[in-house]
Formats: sequence, C-alpha cells, structure tokens
Amino acid sequence: MKESPTLTDDLFAPEVIADPYGYFGALREIEPVHWNERFGLWLVTGYEELVWILRHHELFSSAVIRNGAGPPYPPVDPEDLPLFDEIRDFRADQLVEQDRPEHLRQRSVVHGYFTPKAMEKWRPFVRAAVAELLDGIHPRGEMDALTDLAAPLPVRIIAEMMGVPYEDRDHLRALADGILYINRGEPHRLRPLAAAVRGIVDYAAPLVDDRIDRPGPDFISVLAEGETGGVFSRHQVLVNTGLLLFAGHETTMNLICNGLLAFIRHPEQWERLRADPVGRARLATEECLRYDPPVKSTQRIAAEDVELAGRTMGKGDRVRWIMAAANRDPGVFPDPDAFDIGRRPNPHVSFGSGIHYCLGATLARIEGQEVFRGLAERFPRFELAADRVEHQPSLQFRSVKSLPVRWRA
Amino acid sequence: MKRPPPQLLIEVDHDRCVGNGMCLTFAPGVFQHNARRQSEVVDPEGDTLEDILVAAENCPTAAIGVTDAATGEPYEV
Repeated sequence: MKESPTLTDDLFAPEVIADPYGYFGALREIEPVHWNERFGLWLVTGYEELVWILRHHELFSSAVIRNGAGPPYPPVDPEDLPLFDEIRDFRADQLVEQDRPEHLRQRSVVHGYFTPKAMEKWRPFVRAAVAELLDGIHPRGEMDALTDLAAPLPVRIIAEMMGVPYEDRDHLRALADGILYINRGEPHRLRPLAAAVRGIVDYAAPLVDDRIDRPGPDFISVLAEGETGGVFSRHQVLVNTGLLLFAGHETTMNLICNGLLAFIRHPEQWERLRADPVGRARLATEECLRYDPPVKSTQRIAAEDVELAGRTMGKGDRVRWIMAAANRDPGVFPDPDAFDIGRRPNPHVSFGSGIHYCLGATLARIEGQEVFRGLAERFPRFELAADRVEHQPSLQFRSVKSLPVRWRA
Repeated sequence: MKRPPPQLLIEVDHDRCVGNGMCLTFAPGVFQHNARRQSEVVDPEGDTLEDILVAAENCPTAAIGVTDAATGEPYEV
C-alpha cells in the first residue's frame, strides 16, 4: 500500500474541513478505496468505485444509524449521551435507513410525489418565494446569505408541501433550525437537536391524525396514506415528516451558499450566468452541485465481504463514500478543479446513485435554478464581506457557518 | 384487459440513468439493469403502454423517452 507520510488521518483536522478537495483528492490518487484506522472506516474517493458501491445496494446496508453509529463525534457533553439514543431511534426509522425489500415498499409510497413532472409544478411557487425574499433583501446592500436567503427559502417550500397553516411557519422554522444541529460540532448540540426531534413529533402528530381523516394533496397526506395502507407505522410517518424538514433544508441551504460562494470566487462565471440567467441556470446549478456539493459524504455498512480496487471490505465494516472527491475525479471530469457553469455532460454524484438516489433531487434542482437565476437577474456583483469563510466540522455536510456578502444597492 | 402497446421506440439516456430502478418495478418486462446497473430495454413489448409511461414518469432523472415508432411522435411523460 502506498501511504503518503504527509497525509493526516484526522478527518476533522481544520485543513480537511476547510479544503476537503485537496485532502480527499490526494487520497483518491493514492488509493481510491482506503482504510482509515483512526476512525475505523473505509473511505471511497474514486468515481467508478463510488458508483459501483451505490448500485450494489444488496452488498451495502443503509441501516447506518441503527447498526453502525459510534459515539458522537466531535464529542458531546457526557451528561447528554442518553439523548443520543433518543435521536438515534428517531433517525433509524427514517426511509433513508431502510434496506430492500422494506425500502422499496416505503419509497414506492412517497416516490410519486417527487417525480420530475410533479415537482415542475412547484416551480412557479419557488420562483415567487425567491422573488419575495430577494426583493426584501436587495435594498439593504448586504446580507448573510445563509440566514437571510438560504435558510428561509427551503422552509417556506417545505411548509407549503406539508400543508401547514401560515401562522405555524415561524414554529416550523425553529424546528428546522434545531434539526440543523445534526451537522454541528458544539458539545451541547444534542440538547437543541433532541428538543427539535420531540418538537417535530409533537407538532406533526395532530397533523397526521387530521390527514388520515381528511387527506389532501400535501406530503403528510402521502405519508398518512402509507400508514392507512399498512406500509408505515405511525412512528415512521412522524420521523419521515422530520426527514422532509431536515433533508430538504440543510442540503438546499448548502447548495445556495456553496454555489454563491463559487460565483463570488469566479466572477467570470458570474458574468456568464448574468449574460443569460434563464438559459444558463440549469447547467450552472449542476456545476454548483458538482463543484462544492451540499453533502460531502455518506455512509453504508458492508453486508458481506466485498473486494473492490484491490482491497477487501469486511462484513460489518463502515464504508464512507466521498462525493466531493468523486466529483473531481479527472477520469470522468476534464479539468475537474475548474468551476465551469457550461460543463456538459456533468454526471456528478451529488445526489448519490442507485436505489437511494436523492428523492428530493428535482426539487433541489428547481430551487437552485430559481435562486441562481433570480440572483443573476438582480445583482450585478457580490463581494464577500468577511476575511474568510468557515465550514461546520462535519464529515457529511459541506456547510458554511455564515456567508456575509455585500453589493451596491 | 391488458393489450400489448403499439410499436414503441423506448430509449434510456445512459448519461442520465442513475440506476434508481423504479422503471424495473413498474415495467419489469421492458426494463432490466445491465452490468453497470443502468436500465436497458430488453423487450419494448414486455409491458403495457400504460405501465411503460408510468415507469418513464417515475424516473427520477427523466432518462426514459417513449416514442411511437410509426409516427415518430413522443409520448408525454
């Protein structure tokens, strides 16, 4: 095995969090399937290897939280550890944790709600929500793109999809903000997270009762129908409501912030988008997804011994695949470190691949397209209003801590 | 009563197909996975037109195109 003596094995080292592309890119060149002894997991950084794993779901279990979660890392306050079990029980019952055949039964209930055709009907609503937010922001001349734009937009859309009353939106936003602590490093983070998990169950329970009696076109009705049809337990309906609130929030926030940051750092690409926002938003969004993906990596557990790229992953081993590295694989993407909003084809793996391919991919794409289009139509130029941009200490998510920007209003 | 569909040209765009496999559950007589776990048309008459269109609509990356082979008219999915 070739091992670079200069490469750290600390996946949370500040330089790895700051620049995952340098670190995981170097790892990909050395060994696309690599055992990290310190954290006790395989790191898969090659594009072909990653896609192969995702398309062989029978060899890799998704029940990661239930079966494979180690102690929380970065460490948490010891007295909060009982909360970890509570949060695990919540997450372990979500759709993303299921394997076939159960996964297919559950996905079949919700899949139809998220088809490209069905989601396209949401575009006018997304466009109007973007316009309303940007109209309010524009005269100010500055914003934190994270808290002023990227966070509120997806919550508005999810609230509409859940069919909740308008006056509940602040409460929903607070719950969504609490769930974001999944991705944070603060020692006390389990407390706000557990509060949000309980809050979601408490909030959603009467809504589910209502939808079972009076189904509507909303997503909770889809889940409730799954319960009526015997596919979901009540607990699964509640935790999957929470999944929508989290998976649709954090990821979209990151797409918006990471994309905007890429444009600020590549003004010539911003000019290209500004020259034709309607025509170029689609490919530009794909490139934002590839270049600095909202989700850096995800995990599986080997269901049997699997040989890949000359290494043998043992049954029960944790396997973490790094989309952020695969998206920069020079064997697939010419000039992979260049941010090129006209890149085509762009077969990035930012939504995964195979049977667990992101259910909300089309919605995320529409949100990204409408945001980048809306920004390009209104803002000639952004400047970063901070010396540096810091990221959350997460292996899974690529999330800025804040993104202060300014412009000439 | 299920009848075989009209002559269809069914295409899977392999630049888009991510092997989600939903087409195999809606129209398993038409779609099967190849060695790369991407969808292939194994028999264009293997399921009803209705099932084929449902399979195409449920493709999360809109990778499946269905055309009437005789007229060249695409079906809306």
